[in-house]
Amino acid sequence: MASVPQEKRKPALRSKRYALDDVMAAQEFFHSRGWTDGLPIVPPTPQAVEACLEWVLMPPDQLLGIEPVRQRAITAEKLAVNAVMAGCLPMHFPVVVTAFTAMLQEAFLLHGATASTGGCAILIVVNGPVRSELGMSGSFNALGPSDRATTVIGRAIRLILCNLLDARPGDVDRSTLGHPGKISYCVAEDEEHSPWRPLAEERGVPPLASAVTVLAAGAPRQFMNEWTTQPEEILDTYVAEIRANMRHYSIWPGNYALVVPPQLRAHFERAGWSKADIRRYVAQQARIRRGEWAECGKGAVVGERGDREYAAFTDENDVLVIAAGGPAGGFGAVIPPWYGNKSRAVTMAIGACVDCEV
Amino acid sequence: MSIEVLDPSHESDARAFAPAKRLQTLEGATVGIISNGKKGTKPFFDAVERALLEGYGVAKVVRLTKANYSAPVEPELLNEVERWQALIAGVGD
Repeated sequence: MASVPQEKRKPALRSKRYALDDVMAAQEFFHSRGWTDGLPIVPPTPQAVEACLEWVLMPPDQLLGIEPVRQRAITAEKLAVNAVMAGCLPMHFPVVVTAFTAMLQEAFLLHGATASTGGCAILIVVNGPVRSELGMSGSFNALGPSDRATTVIGRAIRLILCNLLDARPGDVDRSTLGHPGKISYCVAEDEEHSPWRPLAEERGVPPLASAVTVLAAGAPRQFMNEWTTQPEEILDTYVAEIRANMRHYSIWPGNYALVVPPQLRAHFERAGWSKADIRRYVAQQARIRRGEWAECGKGAVVGERGDREYAAFTDENDVLVIAAGGPAGGFGAVIPPWYGNKSRAVTMAIGACVDCEV
Repeated sequence: MSIEVLDPSHESDARAFAPAKRLQTLEGATVGIISNGKKGTKPFFDAVERALLEGYGVAKVVRLTKANYSAPVEPELLNEVERWQALIAGVGD
């Protein structure tokens, strides 16, 4: 009997298998085991999982990293199972893999970010050609359910956290409040309608490469300013939101994301302001005095240090400027970090593992 | 028509760790306290230290604090642990 040629033999999937009656039975099976986010899931069949792995050219046991606190190995197969559940197609999977690999980098402090009472979610910003390939939209509802790809990719990340790292509410995830971004929090930058370089390119990824930036992030703080065309005044509104976050949530510096939709962007473009100009201005202005805490119910911790100044940024490159949002509306948003700089934003290019044998 | 699905969980051994063996007595022991460093832990652990020394005959209490309350304890602090008979790890807000 001739043996099957090596190149035709697929590596075996190792996850435990269950035979279920149908798709509806699968819902209750997965819900009852705490494997979902409460929404219906796409049953992760072996065929669907294998299709994801083939797309990224990874064997099932490809190790993406180890979460050090729980000493938990993160494999391509397990990412794929959860991605399928979230509604990802194979073409969405490279973004999921890259985002989670970025989250496993030491600077991201994955355990702290996903266990803390602080309740952050994982913001994923997508750049490069992959956005068009996946039909991503950085336009209307940019921070909400703007399109299928960003919705399912963001959801996949949450399911992975729940199922591979036990980051479920009340389990490892001790968030007091959390926020809706914990369902899905993925935004595609609107590069085609922006005068600026994409976020990933500003953070060192070569031009025209696809990439993700992940940030342990609070909920968006949306504001409106339709009453000026001056870049400084527009940024003063962004700065006011940052200062409010420092007063009300966390005084510590970190990566703040500034989301700039077209109506506001047009003013910066007319005035010739680059993202670097925005970063410089915001980093300079976003400061508070400790004594301001007395104005919002926190007088007990002001002590003798009321005049001490705190800056939102130790480095102006920590300001993450993102061009996104629908064409009309003088709205902008500040997305604050989870509690300062304990977790740093990580940017990673998207690539397939071309060396893996499948 | 039945469907076959895969387990999405980590499938690790449910027993993540086994608790350390309990001491028969705290008399004469060195007990370490590793605090996560949050403000409220100081008075709490001051009280715990007093109770251990005055009420349980503990010989010595060593107090250490993590540099980052959101990250695992630094390896250098763990080196101290070998000199203790018991350890209290403080998680609080």
